[in-house]
Amino acid sequence: MGRIQLHDIRKSFGAVDVLKGIDLTVDEGELVVFVGPSGCGKSTLLRMIAGLDQPTAGRIEIDGTDVTPRSAADRGLAMVFQSYALYPHMTVRANMAFGLQNTRMPKAEIDTRIAEAARMLEIEPLLERRPGQLSGGQRQRVAIGRAIVRRPTAFLLDEPLSNLDAELRVSMRAELSALHDRLGATMIHVTHDQVEAMTMADRIVVLRAGKVEQVDTPLNLFNRPANLFVAGFIGAPGMNLWAGQAKGGSVQLDNGAMLPLPVGLAVPDGAVTLGIRPQHLRPQAGGPLQAKVRLIEALGPESVVHADMGAGNGLLAVLPGQPDLARGAVIELGYDPQSVHVFGADGQRLG
Amino acid sequence: MTGVKEVLGAVVAAPLGWLARLLDTPLRLWQRLAGQNGMVAFFLLPNMAIFTVFVLLPLVINIAYSMTTGAALFLPERTYVGAAQFERLLRCTDYTDLMTCQEDQFWIALRNTGTFVVLQVTLLIVAATITALILNRALRALSFWRAVFFFPVLLSPVVVGLIWRWILDRNGVLNAALVGMGMDPVNWLLERNYAFSAAIGVTIWAHLGFFALILLAGLQAIPRDLYEAAEMDGTKPARVFWRITLPLLMPNMLVVIVLALIRAVQVFDEAYVLTGGGPGTATLFLTQYIYEVGFASLLKNPGLAAAASILMGGVLIVLTLLQLALGRKNERKGKLK
Ligand SMILES: Nc1ncnc2c1ncn2[C@@H]1O[C@H](COP(=O)(O)OP(=O)(O)OP(=O)(O)O)[C@@H](O)[C@H]1O
Ligand SMILES: [Mg+2]
Repeated sequence: MGRIQLHDIRKSFGAVDVLKGIDLTVDEGELVVFVGPSGCGKSTLLRMIAGLDQPTAGRIEIDGTDVTPRSAADRGLAMVFQSYALYPHMTVRANMAFGLQNTRMPKAEIDTRIAEAARMLEIEPLLERRPGQLSGGQRQRVAIGRAIVRRPTAFLLDEPLSNLDAELRVSMRAELSALHDRLGATMIHVTHDQVEAMTMADRIVVLRAGKVEQVDTPLNLFNRPANLFVAGFIGAPGMNLWAGQAKGGSVQLDNGAMLPLPVGLAVPDGAVTLGIRPQHLRPQAGGPLQAKVRLIEALGPESVVHADMGAGNGLLAVLPGQPDLARGAVIELGYDPQSVHVFGADGQRLG
Repeated sequence: MTGVKEVLGAVVAAPLGWLARLLDTPLRLWQRLAGQNGMVAFFLLPNMAIFTVFVLLPLVINIAYSMTTGAALFLPERTYVGAAQFERLLRCTDYTDLMTCQEDQFWIALRNTGTFVVLQVTLLIVAATITALILNRALRALSFWRAVFFFPVLLSPVVVGLIWRWILDRNGVLNAALVGMGMDPVNWLLERNYAFSAAIGVTIWAHLGFFALILLAGLQAIPRDLYEAAEMDGTKPARVFWRITLPLLMPNMLVVIVLALIRAVQVFDEAYVLTGGGPGTATLFLTQYIYEVGFASLLKNPGLAAAASILMGGVLIVLTLLQLALGRKNERKGKLK
């Protein structure tokens, strides 16, 4: 239970096309994260799945049944809102009971479910309080509890962690993952925080401007980004992307540097973009990359070096430890050619 | 558009700025002479003077009047009678029969006002709530509809009364329409129950927009995602209204109820222009009674009118205190959030 399929979902608000044909299958019990820059249509897509909005075109199936014409209430899904959307005038208990009472569920059953969810989320002492008397993190739990008691076929969460402070966000992230393992229910989680996506997801859906850019596991996205956008979006600090001309197994950048390509990768001669993760660069005397250090962020175990290679090409390198580098110094770097990503003129991955 | 506004603003502001510069030097001199506190008093003075002459003084004089008798206009020429006017107002031989009361007109006006307040406020609140709910849903042309409902609020009460008399009069528009459709004309304003209903209906029409607007503001302050959460849970519209909308609207609702009560107790101008208190005493309300006893009747009795107005004032003070208390409670709640 809880397999969600989207077939060519489109949504326009007036003349503005917000979603431009989304095809996606979310498997039973999977935790899928929608990630993408602000305004790319994540919330719109989630609301469409929830039934709060109707797609302009396309079909939504849950467990093989077409639910597109069904109302939100008849889809058996539960949603956790970014603002939590708790009813401010009701106690936590009443908030959790409200949805169940709609179904005329016996009171004893409601009480059992609330007790169970409250135990799971450790909010038992808060049951008689009102949302106004709770901290942000506690409200968050209550909002999740309100979804859990309904025993939905899938959970939809729209940026549920974005109102929490950094520390709480990290711990709630882990808790949500644990909760997902425990409930075994399908979850669709929306975020624009790629670290959140990487740490939580079984699979990540990268969206941009209403289109799916890539769907894959976090590590596959990191290791084999399908295009320039995903390459730049996933990973922190962002991948080095340099435009150049491919010629016989190497790429020449505008500043003249000749960079070797992976062995065995057939790259036709012409314009390409080369991508190297900052973590894959290492100091190498006489290496193919020479750059002038502009800024060093010493993080302790590693240092992020911002440098210039000339001709407008910047360079980011994450070097282990605390290298002894001064601003203005010239560093020479190399890399394992197998770790290089190559993108064609159309921005798609080669090889 | 903004260009025009800016130009107009500059045109208006120019002489004001000029005036301000002109006043600057003398005011500074004056401040040096009078000191900080002196300046505060100086600026408050005009307001305090107006308030004293037109509010405070009449209040005191009114209280004094209520303890005197006779037709003389000036207080020193009037005879002191203590609480006799109040006694006269309130004395009845049999309190189950208003006709046995010495001032039966006062009691009739009181009963009419009581009935009016209960019916008018109830209907007004229901109508204003429904209007606000509909306006809150109207995505299209909201400002247009808001203006339509608010328009009567801007009319002078006398104009409201005249418009509706023109419609409801024996030879008025409504009867003309009825006759035109082959029905019998109705004496809307000369039939006790019709006239009373007309007074209620017309005052509701005149004030609906104001109250609907306050309620609409309350409705628009309710976060939309609460409704979406309820929708996800498959909540029936009626349950959404009773369990979500109404409780969250309650602060505004209470303010609206008390304000409506205060206005209803004071009902006068629209109703007086519309029915003149008739037929008979069917729509005689307290304010009209006070007005007629004090100024309009042949046997003017300002003392009695003053006493009646003080009794009515008592009721209004209670309601006003209630409103202030509610306002303060809302404020505290707002701060808590
Ligand atoms: N009701 C609406 N009417 C018109 N345009 C809308 C409406 N709702 C959303 N949009 C537009 O659709 C686009 C996608 O919005 P959406 O809320 O889905 O973005 P998002 O990916 O959730 O962004 P964020 O990360 O900021 O929450 C935006 O450009 C937005 O302006
Ligand atoms: Mg969003």
